[in-house]
Amino acid sequence: MKKTWKIIGRHIFLAVLAFIWLVPIFWLVVTTFSTQKGINTNHFFPDHWTLANYHQLFFEPDAAANFPAWFKNSMIIGIFSCLISSIFVIMTAYAFSFIDFKGRKPLMSFSLILGMFPGVLSMIAMYFILKMLGLTDSVVGLIIIYSGASGLGYLILKGFFDTVPISLHEAAKLEGASEATIFAKIVVPLSKPMIVYTIINSFLNPWMDFVMVRLMIKSKDPRDWTMALGLFNLLQRALVNQYFAYFCCGGLMIAVPISILFIIMQKFYVEGVTGGAVKG
Amino acid sequence: MKNFFSKIGNSLKEFGQALAHGDIWVRLSLVIMGAGYFGRKQIMRGILMTLLQVGVLASIVKVFMPYMAKLNTLGTVQREEIFDPLTMQKTVNDYDNSLLILLYGIIGILVIIAFIALYISNIKTTYKIYKLQQQGEHINTFKDDVASFKNERFHITLLTLPSLGVILINVIPILFMVCIAFTNYDENHQPPTYLFTWVGIKNFVNLFTTSQTITFGYAFIRVLVWTLIWAVLATATTFLGGILLAQFINHEDTHFKSMWRTLFVITIGIPQFVTLLLISKMFGDNGIVNTFCANVGILDFFKNIGLLSPGDAFIPFLSKPGWVHVSIILVNIWVGIPYQMLIATGILMNIPSDQIESAKIDGANKFQIFWKITMPYVMFITGPSLIQSVIANINNFNVIYLLTSNYKTANMAMANSHAVEPDLLITWLFRLTNEYSNFKMASVIGIVTFIICAALSLLTFSRMISSDKEGVYR
Repeated sequence: MKKTWKIIGRHIFLAVLAFIWLVPIFWLVVTTFSTQKGINTNHFFPDHWTLANYHQLFFEPDAAANFPAWFKNSMIIGIFSCLISSIFVIMTAYAFSFIDFKGRKPLMSFSLILGMFPGVLSMIAMYFILKMLGLTDSVVGLIIIYSGASGLGYLILKGFFDTVPISLHEAAKLEGASEATIFAKIVVPLSKPMIVYTIINSFLNPWMDFVMVRLMIKSKDPRDWTMALGLFNLLQRALVNQYFAYFCCGGLMIAVPISILFIIMQKFYVEGVTGGAVKG
Repeated sequence: MKNFFSKIGNSLKEFGQALAHGDIWVRLSLVIMGAGYFGRKQIMRGILMTLLQVGVLASIVKVFMPYMAKLNTLGTVQREEIFDPLTMQKTVNDYDNSLLILLYGIIGILVIIAFIALYISNIKTTYKIYKLQQQGEHINTFKDDVASFKNERFHITLLTLPSLGVILINVIPILFMVCIAFTNYDENHQPPTYLFTWVGIKNFVNLFTTSQTITFGYAFIRVLVWTLIWAVLATATTFLGGILLAQFINHEDTHFKSMWRTLFVITIGIPQFVTLLLISKMFGDNGIVNTFCANVGILDFFKNIGLLSPGDAFIPFLSKPGWVHVSIILVNIWVGIPYQMLIATGILMNIPSDQIESAKIDGANKFQIFWKITMPYVMFITGPSLIQSVIANINNFNVIYLLTSNYKTANMAMANSHAVEPDLLITWLFRLTNEYSNFKMASVIGIVTFIICAALSLLTFSRMISSDKEGVYR
């Protein structure tokens, strides 16, 4: 009997915790249906319910809020920097993991030291450089910033490549395969789960980022902004009473691609891919 | 470091030998870099090398030299506009732009260093080919050379583009900002209208100075202390909380384990700039939490126990020092625990159960098992990564900046150096550049942050190397 109460108490405790964790999310969701544009500070639930905010979000861009344009910008930046940085990361990780070239160790320590500088510091200088090239306020500039130095983030994938049996590599060499063939035909297909993980991470990084956009984009035209900057701007004092429900809709909508990515990622998280490969 | 210099020494020695023992073509490579290849009928390679030489030399002389010559002063001619009444047009004099001088100067120096390295290795290569020819061995044709980039030189193919990216996005900007820390580049010295120049270590001195006009020392100590407290507390609370929650969910009496996990993980799916901004509005001075607290009587309760003065109309969760610090830590617990729970779940699944079993048989209670067996095990696995996450928290921009973007400080000494109480070094740096264009102090703060992070990293490395406990859990 005492045990049953203990179990019930345990679940009530978990429920309370889960409630605390979900309250803000829940508030975000219900506010998207509110007829009140600003923050409803008196009641948790909206006084009247409507879908008008979603209509405004997708079809009525105005001088302060332009969700379709932000979504498009963020998507372009996300996809292109994802492509470039995934390729860079895979190439760097492969070189450091499989090829024992002169200067490998010094290069790796050097990359570790570089990673210790706060990112914001170098970004200030990057701003000047992009300004000289005329690339601030542009999608291209942001793609360069997100993907350019991505080669430094090779550590996790290299750790995975290190577990690919070296005998595979040697066997292929004996058969006369060049390094390029081994890379493209053997190692990359074998590491599919980890590469998918790398790709998703390199998409989420620009998608979720706020600092760099805030530094790089000085334009006053909402069409040049990305989602992070646009939504941040909506909560500034002058606008928050007009656009809070809009902000909530937008926030919910950008969570959608992330959720889809998480679901895909789970599917690829299959272990032991390399385990069976070398036997045959 | 010693290793580095001895390598350079060796390289120069080989260079000398190559010149002493090489034939005319090797020596001719001193002037025309492709000559050594022409001599061995590697025409294409020779042409490419010579073109590269001409291109680099031309860019150094034409593009970089004019800027590099002014590096010592960073420019002397200020921009002036003269209005010509006859043509009704403004003419601008041939002014110096300190920013461009510094930037092109740095890039120029890097190009020259790279070129010297290439020059020396080129002589050595031509000498190697000369020896091959002497011994009558096969000399690569252009086709062979191209093919080698898919094989023995494949790492060059792979690493060229990523390295260029890192140099452009990381190395050059970092060198540039380190230089800025030694100049007077601030809101009063902004190119192209004004010049800035070298001032030595004055900015570093200023950072530790507190006087009538300079309050950076005052603000720096406070920001630094809060940064360190924050980094340690934020790491410790989320780490412990994550383990406890993971254990709680993993317990045999808990049903629907994966459902509970999913509920907590949902919060990760929404970007931080959305959730944090939302929470900053919830806990605002007139936010919904304050309404709730006033209705339920928490506001009066705080007044009664003396936390608030009787005149206060709201609880200043995010607008008063002290309150804001506590709120930030609490919100960070909310943000961080789901991540930590996921990580801890993975670790706890691998915990050796025999140790727990034997402890139970010996009569240990739950707390003893947790503190004496579970925690040491988890600490063993995640210990090094804890210091990494302290470093990550020192640089945790989002939580602080998004929660306190509307924070106004009442402390004049803080305001004078553009800092606010909840600032970390990183947000202070950001504010100084983004809002006040005080680049010189921002760079100094950035360098200080780097030193702190580097020191902490060294701690991890030495710990990992010196640890003799590797076999404990095998």
